[in-house]
This record gives sequence, C-alpha cells and structure tokens, in this order.
Amino acid sequence: MSLAETLNRARFAGWRPGLPSAQSLLPYAVPAAILLLWELAGATGYLSDTVMPRPSTILATGARMTASGELVNHLGVSAARALAGLVVGGGIGFALGVANGVSRRSELLTDTTLQMVRNIPHLALIPLVILWFGIGEGAKLFLVALGVFFPIYLNTLHGIRNVDPQLIEMGRAYGMNGRTLFRRVVLPGALPSIFVGLRYGLGIMWLTLIVAETLSASSGLGYMAMQAREFMVLDVVVLAILLYAALGKLADTLTRALERRVLKWSPAYANH
Amino acid sequence: MPITEILPRDIAVPVAHPLHSPGARVQLRHAGRSFGGNRVLADLDLEVAPGEFLSIVGKSGCGKSTLLRLIAGLDQPSSGSVLVDGVAANRAGDRLRLMFQEPRLLPWASVADNVAVGLRTGPDPEAVAEALRAVELGDKAGFWPAQLSGGQRQRAALARALVSHPGLLLLDEPLGALDALTRLTMQKLIRNMHERAGFTAVLVTHDVSEAVALSDRIIVLGRGGILSETRIARDRPHTAAELAEIEAGILDAIFAA
Repeated sequence: MSLAETLNRARFAGWRPGLPSAQSLLPYAVPAAILLLWELAGATGYLSDTVMPRPSTILATGARMTASGELVNHLGVSAARALAGLVVGGGIGFALGVANGVSRRSELLTDTTLQMVRNIPHLALIPLVILWFGIGEGAKLFLVALGVFFPIYLNTLHGIRNVDPQLIEMGRAYGMNGRTLFRRVVLPGALPSIFVGLRYGLGIMWLTLIVAETLSASSGLGYMAMQAREFMVLDVVVLAILLYAALGKLADTLTRALERRVLKWSPAYANH
Repeated sequence: MPITEILPRDIAVPVAHPLHSPGARVQLRHAGRSFGGNRVLADLDLEVAPGEFLSIVGKSGCGKSTLLRLIAGLDQPSSGSVLVDGVAANRAGDRLRLMFQEPRLLPWASVADNVAVGLRTGPDPEAVAEALRAVELGDKAGFWPAQLSGGQRQRAALARALVSHPGLLLLDEPLGALDALTRLTMQKLIRNMHERAGFTAVLVTHDVSEAVALSDRIIVLGRGGILSETRIARDRPHTAAELAEIEAGILDAIFAA
C-alpha cells in the first residue's frame, strides 16, 4: 500500500493525528489536579521543601539527571532486571501451569511442593539470597522470577482447568488429538485467565525489584533512591517513587493493550 | 431407440448436490451399556438404512442419549457391537458428525474458522463458504460467535457438521434450547439439507412433534428396549390431522412404558 493510500484510509476511518479526545484524557485529570495542588501548596509555603519537594523541583531534578545520563542508566538497569525476571519466572510458571493443567500425574508430583513454597513470603528469602548471590544480578533475578512465578503458574493452571469441557468434547468428536486440541481449544480458552496472572505478576515484579534493589544493589532505581536517602536528597527519593508509579502504569497499559488485541473475540473487550 | 425414451418421464434424475454424500449404514447388534451395576441399555438390535432419518424418543433416563453417544463413538458398548458402515463406531472417524444441544462454537474463532473445524483435511475456504451459504450464513463468515443470535449459532454448528459431507449426522436435541419460531425454521432447514445431501440422520429428542416433523422412522426407547416403531412415508404430504394422530400414538407408547 502506498503512503497516499494509507493516509486516505486513515482519513476515512476517522483518524485524526495529534488531538486526543476529552474522554481519553479524563483518567489523568485526578493525578494532574493532585500535582497542581501539591505545587501550589509548596509555592505558598504550606508544604516545606524539606518535607516534600515541589513537582517543579522534582521535574528539574529529573531533567538534570536525564541530561547527565544517570537516570537513564538506573532506569535501563532496573528495566532489564524486571524483564529478565518476568521472562524466567513467567516462563517457568506458564510451563508448569500447562504441564499440571493437562497432566494429573505432573500435578500430583509438583503441586503440593509449589503450594508450600507459595506460602513463604518470597521477600523473606532476601537474607538467604544475599548470602547465596551477594548483591550481584543473580539475587535480583532469583527474587523477581520467584515473585512472578506464582501468579502466572496459578492462573495458567486455573485457566486450563476451567476450559469448557463441552468444547473439549466437541474438539475430540471432531477428530482433534492432543496437540491440536491444546492449540485450538485449551490454550485459547485459558488465555483470559493467563492474562489476569500476567497483570498480577507485573505488579509483584516491580514490588520485588524495588525492595531487592533498595536492600542490596549498586545500580537501578531502588539503589538510586537509597543512595539519595543517605545524602538526604529528598527530590531524588520522590522522583524515584513517582517513577515507580509511572512504570507500573506503563506496564499495565501495555498488557491491557495486548489483552484487548488477543481477546478481541470476547464480548468483555468488544467495546473498549 | 434413444435411451431417454425408454426411461419413464417422471423418474427424478439425481443431481449431484455440492453437499451430497452417500448415507452411512448404522448397525447395533445386541448392544448394551452399563454404568457400574446400572444397566442403561440391554441387548439392543437396531439398523438404520443409508439415507434414513431416524428419531429416538422416550422419557428422560430411557437411555436415548447413551445410545446416541454409542453411535457417535464417544462411548463404548459394554456388550455387543455398534457399527457405522461396518466399522466400529469409535473408528468411523469423520464419516459421522455430531450436533450437540449447545452450538459449542469456539468463541475465539470466527464463524468461518469454526465451520473449518469440521473439515477432514487442510483448509478449504470454498467448502466453508459453500456450507455457510447452505445454512444462510454466507454474510456472517467474519463474525465472532458472540455476535450471532442463538439460532444463527446453531446454524453455524450445522454448517460445521456438514462441511465435510459426512455419511451420518447425529443430532443430540440440537433445537432444545431455541425459541419455538427459530425451532420451526431450523427443522425445515435440517429436513431440507437431509433431502438434498442424502446423509443418514439419527435424532434424539424429547419433542415428539419435532420427531414427527423430521423423521422417516421414530422409535420409542424405554427400560425394556425399543417399545414401538412408527414409519412416516415422506413421498406425500400429510395433513395436520394425520400428523396429530401419529404424534398421539407415539405419546401413548411413551406413557404406557
């Protein structure tokens, strides 16, 4: 398709570049109002800068640290750790969820053990993990992967278990065997539940990473905040906290977009 | 003398319909099925001729669904044999197709992809389009099942069952969940498809008037096996009074059990 055609189609589809609708901006009205009030409170002296720096101060700090490359560096390190933990923990969780969802024997073998491990708060392992891995990358990867593992494992298992048995019977009656049946019926049927696990897992991913970086690291956002506390640089501490909020929201938005795409057949997503 | 003059004029020349398939023969010999100590079917002999439309009616719990599951190969007889074209039913594969009480469409597949589930071999968009047209869903190929009405979904399920030209169509109360008007339309559609395509059909239903509207033969199943058998000749139209009489006779047989 030529560029002219693409533009033409976009025009006829009612696409307008640039201007988002009032509707799509509405969810950001409350955060914007809070920032505004906060700024005003700081500017008029109700809120001391030594207790809570103003948004404009934090923004300036952010800009300064971005320009020096420091912030981007910490962000990149944290993002890479989060992603690695998500891939490892999520991958193992998905694989075990599938195995235990389709095989009774596999479930008998592993589920009890997994349920026992699940009941240990994974952050309680931090002292042990530091002794094992020191403050290297291994410690962070281990903790994030362990945290992400359970929501994805449990929701994959639950999703597979709850695929409509009538659809499975239909698949068998229409000649589908193990692999085809899994690909065409079981996995698509389990996807909505797997997405719930993924979104929940993303939350745990950030939480774990920040705690791990705060306690033992030499780079990353959590380390940046801890370092700033040592030197009483309040604006950097608050900047880090605001970044957590933004990153969490970003991860959730990306997952939702993916979910809408993959689950577009579902009436629950048809009108979004 | 040209051959056309020897043939009597009124012989209907069979036109090869795109959905045409020779009907399968179903044979049950001393077939029985027990669940634990509970004997649901015992020593049942039944034969369905190629192209015949047979309905099985009876009180709930009489074993009619079990019987259909045996013919579908979803369940094995405890004794005796169930054959489709001489082959054990569970190995008849795609010679037979089953329509359930619910449409059982895959919600994540388009209507066309759902119909394609019924194909024997690889993708065949033309066969799918043909089957959808036959059930008057030609314009719904790209829709999600959730966007269809109940009757449309069951029609898509019918297209899925017939897209591979099966020799035997098994119907497990497929119209039970539909409203009365849609049910009548579906009955007409199924009867039409049966006449055009020539497959053998076995319908399980609790609705005697539906069985009368569709079948060539109706059997009443009860604890003692086949309690009665009624044939309805389809070579001439029946008056409403005749049909009502047939229906009354079958209901009597059911309640006498």
